[in-house]
Amino acid sequence: MLKCRQVSKSYRTERGLVTAVAGVDLDVPAGRFAAIIGRSGSGKSTLMAMAGGLSRPSAGMVEVDGTDVWRLSDNALAAFRNEKVGYVFQFASLLPTLRLIDNVALPAMLGRRHGASGTYARAAALLERMGLGGYLDAYPAEISAGEQRRAAIARALINDPALLLADEPTSDLDEQTEIEIMDVLRTVNREVGTTLVLVTHNLALAEQAQQIVHIANGAIVA
Amino acid sequence: MRLLASLALQNLGRRRARSFLLIAAVAIGSGVVFTGATLMRSIDDSMAVGFTRLGADMMVAPEGALTNITAALLTVEPTDLVLDADALSKVPLASVGRVAPQKVVRVEHSGIGGHHELVDLFGIDPARDFTIQPWLREKLNRELRAGDVILGAGRDAPLGSQLLIFGKPHLVYGKLGRTGVGTHERGVFMSFATLAALAGSMSQMGGPRPAALTPGKVTGFLVELAPGATPQQARFAILSAVKGAKVVTGDSSLSGIRQGLSALLQGILALMVLMFASMAVMVSVLFSAIVTERRGELGLLKAIGARRAQMVGTMVVEAMIATGVGGVLGVTLGVLVMRLYERSLVYYLENIGVPFVWLDLPRMAAFAAASIVLASMIGALGALYPAWRASGRDAYDLVRGEG
Repeated sequence: MLKCRQVSKSYRTERGLVTAVAGVDLDVPAGRFAAIIGRSGSGKSTLMAMAGGLSRPSAGMVEVDGTDVWRLSDNALAAFRNEKVGYVFQFASLLPTLRLIDNVALPAMLGRRHGASGTYARAAALLERMGLGGYLDAYPAEISAGEQRRAAIARALINDPALLLADEPTSDLDEQTEIEIMDVLRTVNREVGTTLVLVTHNLALAEQAQQIVHIANGAIVA
Repeated sequence: MRLLASLALQNLGRRRARSFLLIAAVAIGSGVVFTGATLMRSIDDSMAVGFTRLGADMMVAPEGALTNITAALLTVEPTDLVLDADALSKVPLASVGRVAPQKVVRVEHSGIGGHHELVDLFGIDPARDFTIQPWLREKLNRELRAGDVILGAGRDAPLGSQLLIFGKPHLVYGKLGRTGVGTHERGVFMSFATLAALAGSMSQMGGPRPAALTPGKVTGFLVELAPGATPQQARFAILSAVKGAKVVTGDSSLSGIRQGLSALLQGILALMVLMFASMAVMVSVLFSAIVTERRGELGLLKAIGARRAQMVGTMVVEAMIATGVGGVLGVTLGVLVMRLYERSLVYYLENIGVPFVWLDLPRMAAFAAASIVLASMIGALGALYPAWRASGRDAYDLVRGEG
């Protein structure tokens, strides 16, 4: 499903060239739950961003579901992000001026693959599944951080992505909410068969994964 | 797309103070442009009417004729001396613009006014005249015909009524406004043909046939300078070309005012263009800041699959809505300002007899539409570059608030 070959990312700063990820090779088979662990600044989020088409690598190749991601044109890359990958960020990433149902429906509406009524029915069903059926018309500011995170997962799933990338999705949540979020993610992985890559610095969360990749100083160490 | 348009609208509502200030700035700018353009056009039209009413720059009369110097040269002076009707068209005179030949005969016992009243009958060429017809206060809704007369403001007869001149019926075609120039106020104006047709009747009254009624002769010419020409150049050229003529110059400051005001209006137009340009720069700077502030939102849109055109479109639509609303408000503001202007300055000008010609409604509506469209376009252009630049950044950098 996900294949990275000699993927590197360097930034030019005032202090010179900084290498965030250095020549990483990574394989995550379809349907697997993989966890990338490492300390803050180790390069794990950057690696995930390159894998998901969010950040162009300085070198190397990323292949998702047989598609060489970084050889795609601008529009094809947008379609790839829209259809193949779902993201859950480490912060509240809902658009504050849209209702929950609009937030969840937005990726499908951008992709224009289904009509509005079908899209909204699916968005409502996903929110229902996340336990947010009573908040379809609520705005993000009206619900808790945990509920916002669950709504973000619903948004990530609206287009049935082959790959779900979750970048520290429970970083600022309490223990109970963390358990709930992880339950949702594992259920999606197990029941729908969506490949799940979780980026975390929490070893306990990583231990739930079938594959653990340890990254330090931009390189895989285990 | 409805959701992106709704997102644009919601974003405007989210930062109410900033949106209000942006809309207010654009409203002031487009209001000034709309009002300025409309007033300038109206002033231009009014100037065209006003300047034609200022009369000629100079009068060409026979050398021995007595002439009064008046503030405005509107008519030639009654005299027994004449000039050839083609005196000014025989040779090309570059410094001379328009030329209006006139014939004038001073008659008694004409049937106009009191029995012994001396009346000046003026013959004009309606196609070349530029000093009499601009003063028409009211007229019949058709062209001047043979048998029609125009009365100076000092004469009273209803429009369309019959006026007997030397026993011959004439129709009152039009009436002039007040000018303060005696000959103009008390004169009776008609075409050359109508005046010529009266020659026989005048002879029957026992008097000599006036020289001005001789075919091919005129009493004098009213002359307007060619653009850029000086009175001295025209005087020299005319005196060199026409023997036995003298040139009477009117108020020379008038042609200076005419040329100066035109230049002033051009200057105002240039200032308005500069103002609009500075508004465009301001909107662009503001949207650069807005885009920077919303990097996270743009990054999120990009991460969930928004194409570059969709991201740019959201920002551009937002800018166009704000500046378009500003444009509409500006036009409304402009209409109010012009209403105020109409009730004060225009009212005053019309009271003292200075004409003010408002732009007609279709052209004013076109100016209003153009101001609104221009305001929207400025918004679109102002947002386009910063949005396009941001949309090209990595989604990850944008989401993290970088890039």
